[in-house]
Amino acid sequence: MPRAIGIDLGTTNSLVAHVDERNRPRILPVDEGKPLLASAVFYPPDGAVEVGGAAKRRAPERPVDTILSVKRFMGRGPGDIRPEDRGIYQFDEVGAMVRLRVGGGKRTVTPIEVSAEILRVLRRAAGEALGGAPGGCVITVPAYFDDAQRQATKDAGRLAGLDVLRLLNEPTAAAVAYGLDKRSQGVFAVYDLGGGTFDVSILRLEEGVFEVLSTVGDTHLGGDDFDRLVARALLEGGLTPPDPDPSPAVLRGAVAAAQRIREALTDREAVEAEVELPEGHRLRARLTRAELEALIQPVVERTAAPCRAALRDAGVEKVDGVVLVGGATRTPLVRRHVKALFGQEPLTDLDPDTVVALGAAVQADALDRGGREDVLLLDVIPLSLGVEMMGGVVEKIILRNSTIPASATQQFTTYADGQTGMVIHVVQGERELARDCRSLARFTLKGIPPMPAGIARVEITYSVDADGILQVSARELTTGIEQRIQVKPTYGLTEEEVEHMLVESIEHAEEDVSERFLREWRVEGDRILSSLETAFAMDGELLQPDERAAVEERMRGLRTAMEGTDYLAVKAWIESVDAASKAFAERRMDKHVAKAMAGHRVDEFGDAPPATGAKGEDQDQGQEDG
Amino acid sequence: MAHCWSCKAQEEQQTPFCPSCRKIQPVGRTEDYFSLLGLPRQFALDPAELDRNFRTLSRSLHPDRFAKAEARERRLSLERATRLNDAHRYLKDWRLRAAYLLKLAGTDVFAEGKTFADPAFLEEQLEWREDMALAQADRDASGLREIAARARGRLQALETEVARCFEDDHWFSELVIDIARLLSRARYYDHIVADAERASAAVAS
Repeated sequence: MPRAIGIDLGTTNSLVAHVDERNRPRILPVDEGKPLLASAVFYPPDGAVEVGGAAKRRAPERPVDTILSVKRFMGRGPGDIRPEDRGIYQFDEVGAMVRLRVGGGKRTVTPIEVSAEILRVLRRAAGEALGGAPGGCVITVPAYFDDAQRQATKDAGRLAGLDVLRLLNEPTAAAVAYGLDKRSQGVFAVYDLGGGTFDVSILRLEEGVFEVLSTVGDTHLGGDDFDRLVARALLEGGLTPPDPDPSPAVLRGAVAAAQRIREALTDREAVEAEVELPEGHRLRARLTRAELEALIQPVVERTAAPCRAALRDAGVEKVDGVVLVGGATRTPLVRRHVKALFGQEPLTDLDPDTVVALGAAVQADALDRGGREDVLLLDVIPLSLGVEMMGGVVEKIILRNSTIPASATQQFTTYADGQTGMVIHVVQGERELARDCRSLARFTLKGIPPMPAGIARVEITYSVDADGILQVSARELTTGIEQRIQVKPTYGLTEEEVEHMLVESIEHAEEDVSERFLREWRVEGDRILSSLETAFAMDGELLQPDERAAVEERMRGLRTAMEGTDYLAVKAWIESVDAASKAFAERRMDKHVAKAMAGHRVDEFGDAPPATGAKGEDQDQGQEDG
Repeated sequence: MAHCWSCKAQEEQQTPFCPSCRKIQPVGRTEDYFSLLGLPRQFALDPAELDRNFRTLSRSLHPDRFAKAEARERRLSLERATRLNDAHRYLKDWRLRAAYLLKLAGTDVFAEGKTFADPAFLEEQLEWREDMALAQADRDASGLREIAARARGRLQALETEVARCFEDDHWFSELVIDIARLLSRARYYDHIVADAERASAAVAS
């Protein structure tokens, strides 16, 4: 019978695990018998693609054709790759998705295809180890991965011929590996220090529901920093012949030696070694654990601020358990540091390199057996999903931390008379303005019958499945015209930006709120001004000249206020225009009873007007910000 | 009366699973958020019972239980689990629960354009906003927290008042407008709590 597998598709290394006959999760050997598969893919100009350690060894001589750390490109558009991540890779700038030029410039590949190569090797290795093709699989993703990144990961799985049962958050997987899901409740920290990235998540478990309360990280902090510091120190005194400016090849050799020495110092107090380096150099290394700790202390200290920020964001002061993830957390100094930070011994029974894959295997096995009676892992959506409205303001449709699967429906209306199309711009994030959120998709609902502004009713439904992947459909209610799309990424943000989005949304809240109100009131002002212009043209005769002059004077006042930045002033002028034009509106209504709804609507009191154009009116759903 | 899509057995009542073949069934037209969670259609509810029912039902309906089932069952499970989560989210929050009850009674109080002139309350709102602006100008974090706490107190009082309206047997005819007005007041207090908390965090940092 095919066995379910769990996959940790990591930035630096990837692993695959399964649950054995004795019900214990086990890592399967992958690369030349080793459990870790380097997340490296080499594309030669001719011949077969190489994956893993062999590919990684190609990197020095074939840097452009060897793709490392492809995870940071997943679900990204060409515009959102940070310069420091571009490295020496060549990107094709056409299209919405990132494409890398490889194989001596002969072909281009997407990050999804590169990831699929890694997954294919894992699938084959699992098949060999298990004596048959694997069954369904669970793939882990960072908790803060947005819709586009999750979709890309799932696509890569499918491309690799895997039956992806579920995507699982990495910190949740680590907690599952420790069996924390079997407790009835608690707050847990997951401290993940990998080779090049650091993040810390705070999870809350309540009756089988895991909620990621916060995730804070540093995408440029990791065990590699330890090794660079150690290598530099070793090169200073131990290199023969001495070389004040060693070549990149010598440096690489020294860093590799530093890593081995650092790892050896986990169990020993001192290490002495002599290493052959390229170009006839030799490195004599003598290092004690105390010396190592003095060297790496500053890097370890840098993880303290994110931990404190994560606790603060989560609104908790202490946790009931700390899980360590990532090889660099084996370092005794890191463990002492974590203990001091969280006030308790971290859980260390499981290998921090494999804990995420083990958790994924446990969950895959559970899904394969039709779920577990005792526990249910319910995940929540990491960032709110919304739609852009007139003025660039975001109306949130599904709020962050909603349990998934989830759905929500909101009704909107047209902004202009005779409007037949409506652009639906789907965004994800906590900020008030669409340009500050991640854009997920943009499509146009066409074929709305021409009607006066505000009459057509368009219903937008967002559905998020159990993997956190969104589907959007839009329906015009009077005609029943419907459009449904699976959201595909248009362009997006960098991983770091996603991480900082929540923090930012809090920092910018003040500025956002007044800017939001200003935009909304400006849109409202525009609408009132243009509908009055239209009304003057149509029914000007209903007003005496002096009456008209009075309205026009206030309209001028409104225009001036709209050029300013004080939303309260705009609001006051709108009320003033409304009051002045009330008699006119009433006479028009008498004249055009049938069309009375099209033009004016005396506005409600309150701070924020209902956004017009695409207007949210399902107020009973309580989906507004705040 | 519905038929099971799989074994064609007739069902008296809409239930998540067919009583004869145990296959998962689509959400029926007559099922509302209350019946989905096995609760009586009323405002008063026991939050512990709501959560307990939600968890029990989640365990049997969640897509995790159907990962290996056939496509139709997977789709039905997704549909049911989604509705269950939505129902839980709605009933958990007393404001949403009240608005939903009004909607079930055929009174969509928040339909377009319907707002409630509430001049006395508007006056009060302006005072709250003034207090908040003053505290913000003084960078008075504890003052802002105090405002949030006061607004929370108001929300609690509103909840009690809404509950009392629903207890009245004739609420649906005479008290609808009262409930709607209380709900729209609650919205303002919700905003005040959120704004005051954000402002106090901003001032403190």
